[in-house]
Amino acid sequence: MRIFMAIILILFLPLYAFSEDEGKKLYDDWCAQCHGYKGDGKGYSTDFTFPKPRGFVKGIYKFHSTPSGSPPTDNDIIRSIRKGNPGSSMPPWKRFSDNEVKALVNYLKRFSPENFESPAEPIKIGKAPRVTDELIQKGKRLFEEAKCWECHGKSGRGDGEKGWQEKFKDEWGDRIYPANLTYPWELGNGSDMEDLYRRTITAGIEGTPMASYQDDLKDDERWALAHFIKSLQLKRKLGIALRMVKVDSAPSSTNDPIWGETDYLDLPIGGQILFNPRHFTPTITNVRVRGVYTDSEIAIMLEWVDKKPNKGDDGMPSDAAHMQFPSKIPEGAEKPYFYMGDRRRAVTLWQWKASEDSAREYIAKGPEVVTEQERQDVKATSTYTDGLYRVIFKRPLNTGDREDMGFEVGRFIPFSVTLYDGWNKEEGNKGVISAWYYLMLEPPMHIKVYLLPPIVSLAVYGLGLVLRRKLGKKYKIK
Amino acid sequence: MAIIYPIITLLGLMLSIISVIKRSPLFNFIGIQIALYGGLKGVGLIIPPLPGQVILMYMVMSVFAFLIYFSIDDKTFKRFLEPIRSVFVEDDKRIIRSLVFFFVPILAGFITYWEVKPRFEPPVSARIIHPEPSTEIEFRGKTIRILGLENPLRKDVTNLPQHIEEGKRIYYQNCLHCHGADLDGKGHFAQAFNPPPLPFRGTDTIALLPESFVFWRVAKGWRDIPEGSTPWDSSMPAFEDFLTEKEIWEVILFIYEATGNKPRTW
Ligand code: HEC
Ligand code: HEC
Repeated sequence: MRIFMAIILILFLPLYAFSEDEGKKLYDDWCAQCHGYKGDGKGYSTDFTFPKPRGFVKGIYKFHSTPSGSPPTDNDIIRSIRKGNPGSSMPPWKRFSDNEVKALVNYLKRFSPENFESPAEPIKIGKAPRVTDELIQKGKRLFEEAKCWECHGKSGRGDGEKGWQEKFKDEWGDRIYPANLTYPWELGNGSDMEDLYRRTITAGIEGTPMASYQDDLKDDERWALAHFIKSLQLKRKLGIALRMVKVDSAPSSTNDPIWGETDYLDLPIGGQILFNPRHFTPTITNVRVRGVYTDSEIAIMLEWVDKKPNKGDDGMPSDAAHMQFPSKIPEGAEKPYFYMGDRRRAVTLWQWKASEDSAREYIAKGPEVVTEQERQDVKATSTYTDGLYRVIFKRPLNTGDREDMGFEVGRFIPFSVTLYDGWNKEEGNKGVISAWYYLMLEPPMHIKVYLLPPIVSLAVYGLGLVLRRKLGKKYKIK
Repeated sequence: MAIIYPIITLLGLMLSIISVIKRSPLFNFIGIQIALYGGLKGVGLIIPPLPGQVILMYMVMSVFAFLIYFSIDDKTFKRFLEPIRSVFVEDDKRIIRSLVFFFVPILAGFITYWEVKPRFEPPVSARIIHPEPSTEIEFRGKTIRILGLENPLRKDVTNLPQHIEEGKRIYYQNCLHCHGADLDGKGHFAQAFNPPPLPFRGTDTIALLPESFVFWRVAKGWRDIPEGSTPWDSSMPAFEDFLTEKEIWEVILFIYEATGNKPRTW
């Protein structure tokens, strides 16, 4: 018997050792640059991303399906590797084989073996109850009663007071922010129903202020919460061009019902990393743009989530937004550089600042060459509600200023957006930027579009009748 | 989606063949036109798709050519017209006639609507992804000849692993956000930019390029690419602002090493 065991051991040992070596090699090649060669979370990228990469030596894993305080299962770790953690630099790793991922998991566990001594089972999950308005209302009530809003804010945008206390940190000593529940693409633990219910609300996010609610809330209450959060989630509408329709009078308030009827476009935005100082750790990920025009005016509204408003009086820079347009509408494909223009082609820059809540116009020929325009034609107003900025820019379609371009109906006009979160010390080149997009003032539907088709139909019908008459006389055989 | 065009061609041919057997030149004609249309659209599967204008021109030509062909012989032409005539006048074709009189005007109206309705087609700019590099560049006050330039660090064989490791550090502090942790072009900022950052994996980017080209592209970024490559859209930074010459060579070593690609040497 002993000999038999020995043989088995000898047979399997190399296999085991192989998988460990393979795990180490893969880790050193593809994970250590962020998570650190020693697994301490201090890799090359650590100071260049937000959130920072996890250190594995503490043995605390944020993302798991097991009860709070217990280690993740292998499948939990596999999931983080395979799906990545949205809202962070942890990407989904699709290229590795299942065996390679297993080897990686085994290697990660070796950074804190004591943590995995007593493995845990995933929390049992029943079937999600069907979604009803009542259930969502119940979830909404619970969101208040369980004080989720203290961190996540009344509308779930992550703007709750608690998040702004200096000591709001995670177990690794890093500053952390309550999640914006309306942006599913930022939720590292997964944004579908089961993830919300089991992995986040029931299990909690280990090592962060996001606690487990397994004991405090009943099963059906947690489902209701998950449904409520699901109902908050925005669907991004990506594209390259925004339609702007004509209206009788331009809305002057951010909650004018007109805005609810207009088309919109979501622009994913990223840190400005083209010019010094580069910005690798932005907090804003999206801006929603919509617009309308009248006979004389154009009105554009930007909407984005900023968890903490800054008016520039708290030692932080003021929040701000820029809209950029080519100073001359291009005839061909050529445009100014998409961020701040360039020496040859200028951009017109509309700047809104929270500190003044008004707009200024600049001409930029590169980030260093920015001059304020003599004539100011742009007006801006804004609101900040539950973490959401809404800024309306307005300008006459044609200003008569030689430096300004005119908004011509039916033309595709390039625009791009830059935003600044003062809390994140953003100002100057330290901001978040978008690529070039287009907007178009859609010409009102021409009357011919309604008239021509029925006329043509009738004409063709008439022609048929005439033909039948003529042919019938001459060619009838039977 | 384009796969339906060969099927259209086949259906057209079948209709045409059956019509020849049934001696119905009109349906033969229709079958030929359908087959031709499917064929012209279908070439897009093999070579770059033909522009709509060209297809329209060929179709008009083919309609005329075959009309002439079928009308040369009087008897054939009579048979050609027969189905049309009978639909118009014969009593036993009443149902088909009603259908034709109902659907053809509606179709005509719909086509008219399609033609006059306002279009919402933002301009697309074709761009050359790997433009011709400059032959010579100014790099931090030094003139570097790009043509024939080689990566000097490859000769430093003993320190090559250190250079590659240093390249790895540079990559994850400068390139990660766009080109991605797996060098697949899917960094966490990538979505913000258009054109999207290029992947380095695969055989159609750095595997096609000599290292001299990559050096130029990294050093000068959007600033030096010709108008045909739409520099105004490019989010590729000019790394001469942030990295030294040696650092650029090191990061180039790393992106080849990490993807298993080899620089082009010819
Ligand atoms: C570009 C940097 C980067 C690379 C490369 C990277 N990660 Fe990550 N990883 C992160 C970041 C950042 C997080 C933290 C996400 C968070 O806290 O929301 C993370 C989180 C994780 C987690 C979840 C930890 C937890 O607390 O639950 C696991 C597991 C993980 N990474 C494994 C890996 C493995 C294995 C590799 C190599 C194949 C790898 N990572 C490569 C940046 C990286
Ligand atoms: C003490 C503050 C606090 C309270 C109270 C709180 N949360 Fe959180 N929550 C956080 C923090 C911080 C995060 C972000 C964790 C991270 O970045 O990984 C978070 C993240 C989340 C997430 C997103 C997880 C992901 O995938 O990134 C959800 C969903 C969530 N919380 C739901 C709730 C619900 C529901 C409640 C009330 C029952 C609640 N939270 C109460 C602090 C809190």
